[in-house]
Amino acid sequence: MAGGGGGFVEAEAIIARIETKSTKIESLLKQYKPVEALKTALEGSPPKTLDERCKSANWIVVHRALMAIKDIEGMLNALDVEYYDILMKYLYRGLSTGDRPTCDQCLKIHEKLTERAGLGCILRCLSDTLNTV
Amino acid sequence: MANPLRLYLACIKNTLEAAMCLQNFPCQEVERHNKPEVELKTSPELLLNPVLICRNEAEKCLIETSINSLRISLKVKQADELENILTKKFLRFLSMRAEAFQVLRRKPVQGYDISFLITNYHCEEMQKQKLIDFIIQFMEDIEKEISELKISVNTRGRLVATEFLKQFM
Repeated sequence: MAGGGGGFVEAEAIIARIETKSTKIESLLKQYKPVEALKTALEGSPPKTLDERCKSANWIVVHRALMAIKDIEGMLNALDVEYYDILMKYLYRGLSTGDRPTCDQCLKIHEKLTERAGLGCILRCLSDTLNTV
Repeated sequence: MANPLRLYLACIKNTLEAAMCLQNFPCQEVERHNKPEVELKTSPELLLNPVLICRNEAEKCLIETSINSLRISLKVKQADELENILTKKFLRFLSMRAEAFQVLRRKPVQGYDISFLITNYHCEEMQKQKLIDFIIQFMEDIEKEISELKISVNTRGRLVATEFLKQFM
């Protein structure tokens, strides 16, 4: 009972954190810093939660930052290597939505990211069943 | 437009290259059996995350991998009723002759138009790059075939109608 209650509180805390993150990202996007916005969005990714709401909330935030990116090369230059895997997972989530502008953007970024990160990045994304996005 | 199609095919090609890492794995439940795990889905530890790549609302590609087999399901763009019927008939024609293609599945997965099932035996006999090139080539050619069929149906219909109505003139 206590464990279940604790889990619920944790999810709420994570969602609150995501909301603060999204306000920060909105302000960064207004200042025309889409790369910074994406970095912030990917940083606090809560991979170990099983709660669908946390994942959806984080996905909305990342989606917002991804659609604002115009210069993909520059964005990948500025992003650290450790974020490539998380970005790839979010790209596949974007590709599964089926929404035309999202898919166009995700396909563009996917090609460039595969050139940089290689097939290993895709394979880590496929085989990681514990930390899904 | 060629460019989004090229990106879509490039994405599928990269994902297939990464996902096609198959090895022989005898069935865990039944002795001396060897089954494609992606079809049965009995043990979750043998399956990888399925990946859905959509180009737009109408076209998508589902890639499911397991330790010894890989299933690719395609949904082809169908703009109107005529293309719908042509696609269904044409792909059913191909699926019924699945033995000749070896990697084709006899029935498409629910919600898709055509499915491929590639097992470790196929990877042993055939080259992985050639298999991937075959799938990508197939996707490119399907669109051309369907539009050619549509044009020929319309042309034939027009010719028949002209000939038939000549007798009333």
